[in-house]
Amino acid sequence: MSSIFPLHQLPRSRTIARLTPIVVAVAATLAAPIARADEAALKAEIAELRAQVEQMKAQIRELATQSRPAAAPTTGAQSAAPSTPVAATPAATPPAASASQSADLAARVERLEQSANAQAEEQSATSLFGYGEITYSRPRNDASQTQADLARAVLGWSHRFDARTRMAAELEVEHAVASSDDKGEVEIEQFYAERQFGDTVGGRAGLFIIPIGLLNEHHEPTQYYGVFRNAVETSIIPTTWREGGFAVYGRTELGLEWNVGLTTGFNLAKWDATSGEGRDSPLGSIHQELSQASARNLSQYVSLAYVGLPGWTFGGTYFTGKAGQGTPDFAAPDARVTLWEAHARWQPGPFDIAALYARGTISDTEALNLTFVGLPTPVPERFYGGYVQAAWRGAWQYKDYSLTPFTRVEWVNTAAAYAPVPEGLGVAPSPTERIWTIGADLYVTPGIVFKTDYQRFRNDSSRDAFQVGFGLNF
Amino acid sequence: MRHTWIVASALATAVAPTAQVAFAVEYMDVAGAQRSAYPEATAFEPYTVSAEARADIARDAGRFVGVPQVWRVRSGERLLGWFIVDEVIGKVERITYSVALDPSGAITRLDVLAYRESHGDAIKLPAWRMQFKGKRSSDPVRLDADIRNISGSTLSCRHVTEGVHRLLLLYDRVLAHA
Repeated sequence: MSSIFPLHQLPRSRTIARLTPIVVAVAATLAAPIARADEAALKAEIAELRAQVEQMKAQIRELATQSRPAAAPTTGAQSAAPSTPVAATPAATPPAASASQSADLAARVERLEQSANAQAEEQSATSLFGYGEITYSRPRNDASQTQADLARAVLGWSHRFDARTRMAAELEVEHAVASSDDKGEVEIEQFYAERQFGDTVGGRAGLFIIPIGLLNEHHEPTQYYGVFRNAVETSIIPTTWREGGFAVYGRTELGLEWNVGLTTGFNLAKWDATSGEGRDSPLGSIHQELSQASARNLSQYVSLAYVGLPGWTFGGTYFTGKAGQGTPDFAAPDARVTLWEAHARWQPGPFDIAALYARGTISDTEALNLTFVGLPTPVPERFYGGYVQAAWRGAWQYKDYSLTPFTRVEWVNTAAAYAPVPEGLGVAPSPTERIWTIGADLYVTPGIVFKTDYQRFRNDSSRDAFQVGFGLNF
Repeated sequence: MRHTWIVASALATAVAPTAQVAFAVEYMDVAGAQRSAYPEATAFEPYTVSAEARADIARDAGRFVGVPQVWRVRSGERLLGWFIVDEVIGKVERITYSVALDPSGAITRLDVLAYRESHGDAIKLPAWRMQFKGKRSSDPVRLDADIRNISGSTLSCRHVTEGVHRLLLLYDRVLAHA
């Protein structure tokens, strides 16, 4: 250790005389109130004070050695220190005043550090986070339908009660304005508490996002490619899909993640056969989002994923529950909603290749659909979708900027089959729509992204569109 | 309920293997991590990194979240390497991790000492941490280049990788000359 106090060159009295002002100065610094909120600066100061105390100790030891009778040869002045960071090597009879001052300073540095750590813990127990996105969409064949939208702005907060217990919540505003005259919505997207029972097992209670697919839990705009979320994980899996209930989850050391839950489910009595909402997203039109949710019938899910091989992810989820919810005189009291999906993702180097397939069924809807005869949107018995996606992350980079081109092909059918009804009374199943998307995302930083893409629909070309978007996530 | 068996059987299959490995992913204290990284060490000598050195590294590799704690590790008079405890932010919470370097500056071990969020903690998996073994300051140590991502833990993977990159610069510019 280099010395800033060449004590060994000085007579002892002068040494102590020179040392004392420094001790006083350090002590004065320590005694000053901790007015700074900057944790890093505080820690830096503590580290430097610690170093000064260490140097002082070394010099006091050196001084003590000099003052000892010459008969005792030193066995290496800097012999290995004990394995604790500030282990005080018991030097032989150091000058009493300096030694006690040094010990006092060391204790005060320790206390200051503990206080700073406690302060840091206190300061960081509650955190804010958020994300949002703005979209612009210009249909190829009808420019009058061009639309710009602040699709969503979300503010989240979390609070850590102790090392193993925390809560998190998100407040979302969709479409910028929510009023009786506007289409916007204000909603609580998540509101839950969770606790780690052990290092690999935890539990969660409240309103939380169902762990399904690649997007539902990771729906922030910086985490997916394209201006809009993909169609499969919007129409078939109603991202952002959340339910109220309980979940237990964990991971084995080999990388197998599991998550099981008992939650609220869908309410088929909400189905509106007069609107097209059920054709856009069958489950999106009957989810309840824990807003005075009918909860006569609870649902269950199981989710498994394997992440033990870096660069690879394999996963799947099975969700099922009855959806009649005990509604009086409802024509489908035993209807059951089941949705399952499987996905794989491979990220070799800069490339990101993903595939997902999702399939849903709603059972026992014959009698219900008979009450919808003549209406455009009966309840489908089966709906499904899948996609394959490839991206080249950072294909072009300049300083912090990074461009990621991507392409995706999707197949979506929101009404692949209906329960049988008497001939002539039913609605024909929908054809499977194929959507091809090509575009690029420009990351200004990992938390801010500008996007552009072009989407082409095989069956309904009126939906072909050029799109631009902006998103952020912190 | 007709499908109650799903939850029951899933719980049985999921909890059974986990029960065997629960608590196996260690959350270690600093002393435990030091012992694991250098079982033959006889001394861990604290080393203070100056604010100037940190600022110099921050210009090229981003700011340190806190002040990294550094120890020079010896077995008798023999230098075994350097042990560093550092922190990065995952999504909103701090991740505390340690890196052990051999005398030539190559990583011999990376441990996650504390993870405070429920999502993204797949970085604790040995398979992900093993990717850093042997890395030195001449390597890119960049996510999606020579370090592979875990889908669903991207922020944790990215930020720990950036932190390790900073520590390797710290070795290159400071510790190698200390």
